[in-house]
Amino acid sequence: MVLVLLLAVPLLAGLLCLVIRPRVWWERLNLAAFVIVAGLAVLLGQDVARPGGPGRVLALNGWLQADALSALVVGLTAFVALACAIYAVGYFRRDLQEGRITEAQLRHYYVLAPLFVCAMLLAPLADNLGVMWVAIESTTLASVLLVTFYNHKTSFEAGWKYIIIGSVGISLALFGTVITYSSAVGVLGADTHHGMNWSVLVGIADKFNPTAMRLAFVMVVLGYGTKAGLAPMHTWKPDAYSEAPVPAAALLGAGFINCAIYSIMRFDVLAEKCLGHEFPSRMLVGFGLFSILLAAPFVLVQRNFRRLLAYSSIDHAGIMVAALGFGGRLGFLGAVLHMLFHAVTKPLLFFCAGNVQQQFSSPYFRKVRGVIHTLPWTGTLFLLGAFAVTGTPPFSLFQSEFITLSAALADGRSWTAALFVLGVVTIFVGFLLHMSKMNLGAAQEAVPRAAECPWKFGAMALVSAVVVTFSLWLPAPLFELVKQSVHILGGAS
Amino acid sequence: MNFPHSELAAQWITLLAAGMLVIQMLMVVQGMLLTNIRLFALQSLMLAAIAAIIAFFHNAPHVYWVAGLTIVGKVFFLPWLLNRQVRRMQIHQEIEPLFNSTASMVLCGAFTLLGYIVARPFTSLERLGNNTLGIAITLLLTGFFLMFNRRKAITQVLALLTVENGVMLAAVALTTYGMPLVVELGIFFDVMVAVMVLGILVYRIRETFASMDVNKLSQLKG
Repeated sequence: MVLVLLLAVPLLAGLLCLVIRPRVWWERLNLAAFVIVAGLAVLLGQDVARPGGPGRVLALNGWLQADALSALVVGLTAFVALACAIYAVGYFRRDLQEGRITEAQLRHYYVLAPLFVCAMLLAPLADNLGVMWVAIESTTLASVLLVTFYNHKTSFEAGWKYIIIGSVGISLALFGTVITYSSAVGVLGADTHHGMNWSVLVGIADKFNPTAMRLAFVMVVLGYGTKAGLAPMHTWKPDAYSEAPVPAAALLGAGFINCAIYSIMRFDVLAEKCLGHEFPSRMLVGFGLFSILLAAPFVLVQRNFRRLLAYSSIDHAGIMVAALGFGGRLGFLGAVLHMLFHAVTKPLLFFCAGNVQQQFSSPYFRKVRGVIHTLPWTGTLFLLGAFAVTGTPPFSLFQSEFITLSAALADGRSWTAALFVLGVVTIFVGFLLHMSKMNLGAAQEAVPRAAECPWKFGAMALVSAVVVTFSLWLPAPLFELVKQSVHILGGAS
Repeated sequence: MNFPHSELAAQWITLLAAGMLVIQMLMVVQGMLLTNIRLFALQSLMLAAIAAIIAFFHNAPHVYWVAGLTIVGKVFFLPWLLNRQVRRMQIHQEIEPLFNSTASMVLCGAFTLLGYIVARPFTSLERLGNNTLGIAITLLLTGFFLMFNRRKAITQVLALLTVENGVMLAAVALTTYGMPLVVELGIFFDVMVAVMVLGILVYRIRETFASMDVNKLSQLKG
């Protein structure tokens, strides 16, 4: 029931916004829907984490299934969606006021954002790998018109790149899914009805044809890796993140990335069972490390702070995939924790960047100085977010990066570990250089001190409260979910 | 396979799959958009025929659905939609591709070879026909090549659709029964929506840039 409601509520809200007229109601509907979704996600998390319970929830004859890993991704999506919905109210009101968009354009956002979230929630809830693929493809379709939201020339360029590269990737992923399914049919015989369900596949994965599984895994990692933004399939990401309106960019960069990584995780479990640790591990670590090392120089020389966030997201996708590749309990723990901490930290940076861009009317570092004098809260939180997202010790991302590093060493890959540290440290330096120059320093004469918008500030306060809390203390049910997820990644269904 | 006439079915499937490959090659060298759209419709018709043959000879009634959906969607609806768009925008001819037709043909020959090499270890897995997986992988590779070689937005959409045809061919060829119906319906729905969204984008790009040439989309860098 909870699972069906989780999907139905945003779907309904999106469709209602299509027919209802005054703008205030779009905002209310979106907010209400995402508050309900967040509540349902908490319920689901508690249900799954309950000690002694079955550890999973089923609905619709097993078409929908939530175990700890799904519940975690659903929770993160719900959190990001709620924060974005609060932020969007303030952000778009200002855009309307300043004449950047019309009400008709704005309707696109309030219709598409809930549909996008609905597809993002379906991906982790679908037990059937084919349905999961359909959900991931739907997220692309729902979000591409969000990327082209402003109707600039550059937004069409970004949108076209996004959908074409995404579609190429996603068709590879479908091919991989089909090959996996055919191996399952080979084992199960004619019982094809459940042959695509992950919970069935995981039990028989060791009997798959290894050659087929290898090809399938390569295609799936390339495919879903494109959606996660792993280098070298990342080229759509900086464009899409910098052209989309900030709430949509945050949904993509903090919410959707988890769904893509989640899909890779599910296939990694199958591949490890069938092929052993060596092959999937080498492939994931390769892509992960390449993403981290590629992002580092781009972060150093970046001139646009919206694109900086995209390269940071490529880096973090790389860290998650590399942690998954290192494997073992430590590696899986690193991957799951990193996904959790990244998702709660990243929205803060997007929100601050959006505030700065609206206030200074420019996304370029060279035009922005002394944010802390113009927007004291935004400046402070931007610095806090920058420290948090680069994994500086008091913040939680440090823990997950440290665990990942230990996993690399435990797996006996000292060279990989060294390169990992090199990449992460370079990104840390680059980030702080840019952020300190932009946020600190003398105030700009031309831009007067401004009041924080309560909606935008509310969203930022919510996210930063969670960031600070998680760096000190992880609630017990959440930790239980993380532990169970690690267990699932270890291959126990 | 112990089905009656399965020998005959296998031969038909091989023949039709080879036909899909030939059409793909024609699309690679063909520059007229309207002809390309017709070729795509014909290729989809062959895919539908393969699905229908499988459904008939292997007693898998739900594969008829796949055939039906393919005919409704890819043989009639999408070609009609793309046709209308091409006529409305008054663009009929591809601009000069990156590789000329001779070079494209040679490259696609190489892709076919590669497709067969990749597919070779799987001949034991193939349930139907002899070459279907090789052809499916070839369709995938040449589809990507077509997308990269041509700069018109509509041709890129067509290329994407041929890639999708390749994946569907693999799905029926590798598993005999196709995927569960819900998944087939989902994929069908997604493809339809994808082409409509791409259509909207093509239209708006055309309005903003007064061109459908994807090369003009080159401002975002770094």
